[in-house]
Amino acid sequence: MPMRHLALAAAAAACCVPATAARAQIRASERAAVSQTVDGTTFTVDYARPRVRGRDPLFGSRAVHWGETWTPGANWATTLELSRAATVGGRKVAKGKYSVWMVPRASGNWTLVLDPKPDIFHMSPPDSSAAQVRLAVRAEPAPFTEVLTFEFPEVTTGGTTLAFRWARTRVAVPLQVEPSLAVELPEAEAAPYVGRWTYVKRDTPDEKPVTIEFRTLYEGGTLKAEWLPADPYMQRFALVRVRPDLFFPGLYDKDGKIYEVMRPDMAFTFTRVGGRPDSLEVRYSDDFLAGTARRKP
Amino acid sequence: MPTRRDFVTRCLGAVWLAAPRQPAPPHPTPRPGVTGARVLTRAQLGETPALAPLFDQVRAVPQVVDGIRCNCGCAELPGYYSLLSCFEGDAMVRHCAVCQGQARLAVRLHREGKTLDQIRDAVDARFG
Repeated sequence: MPMRHLALAAAAAACCVPATAARAQIRASERAAVSQTVDGTTFTVDYARPRVRGRDPLFGSRAVHWGETWTPGANWATTLELSRAATVGGRKVAKGKYSVWMVPRASGNWTLVLDPKPDIFHMSPPDSSAAQVRLAVRAEPAPFTEVLTFEFPEVTTGGTTLAFRWARTRVAVPLQVEPSLAVELPEAEAAPYVGRWTYVKRDTPDEKPVTIEFRTLYEGGTLKAEWLPADPYMQRFALVRVRPDLFFPGLYDKDGKIYEVMRPDMAFTFTRVGGRPDSLEVRYSDDFLAGTARRKP
Repeated sequence: MPTRRDFVTRCLGAVWLAAPRQPAPPHPTPRPGVTGARVLTRAQLGETPALAPLFDQVRAVPQVVDGIRCNCGCAELPGYYSLLSCFEGDAMVRHCAVCQGQARLAVRLHREGKTLDQIRDAVDARFG
């Protein structure tokens, strides 16, 4: 093979080597990413994971000095990305990608800093600026963790907790999302839907229709509904309005908190007669008509 | 025996939950001259002949279905253009309750005389 062809073949082969293989390297702090989605908002932490490697105690030592601005990671600064605006530790934070910094202290609260510039090497911590989000966070003792870890140990319908653990320290920050749906409904808007309904139920096309009672009521600022006898899975549920006359069921846990809104699984569509909801259709996500109801006189 | 709700939930779990819910992109513009020629036929449906009527209905209104974005996450797949794409090729609609629901809703509203914009609005309200 002519030399020119050999050189081209070698160049082509180099281009074809997978990126991961080309960059393969044993690192003291391997890169990792974790993310959590809550009601359509995704939080992503991208960070390098240093190990303690016998440097215990770690904080207040040569590894991490008290009072210095330090990225909880290594090499390129840890980043936190928000796919939508959210609340971090009670502070509103705009959608975007931020570098994450902490100021550890021997006593009292630490400071968590989100800097709007994401690509910063750990040796060049940003100066304090008005564009940063700076929060007081509590560092608490924790069981020993060898590898620096970010995780989302709790998730609710409205938020999650971002927790950092390393050595014998844990810092947790609550993250709250903008709810996509309003569960509560003003009483005046809910009132027209309240009542008792004759409900004809059919869970499959082959099933013989069954007539039961359906009840809509206003309770605790929310329009709710239940079948009588109650559906064992759904029990009494919230009717969460998405559009005028279109609702989806919100299911409650044993503590009375909504843990799931069944959208698009089950749509409740009311039809009005003379301006008042008079009939109801319930359709599954495949548009199967699972039930119809008429208001009782 | 699993209930219909269990089945639907499982289908959603496989497709819907796999896709993070980001702000939805706009609905596609129906391609000029689009036809339903590539929509699978009853003979091509294999183990899902019960869906043949839905495929027939979609084949009859390609200009409507081609103007709707699918909300189940399949819009990220290569070669996807519109909800019509879900009825062509691998026809993933065969295994997706959300695709089926959007198509049935679109066909039903089209028969009721609704415009494409009204159908899109209804699809977004139910599935967006």
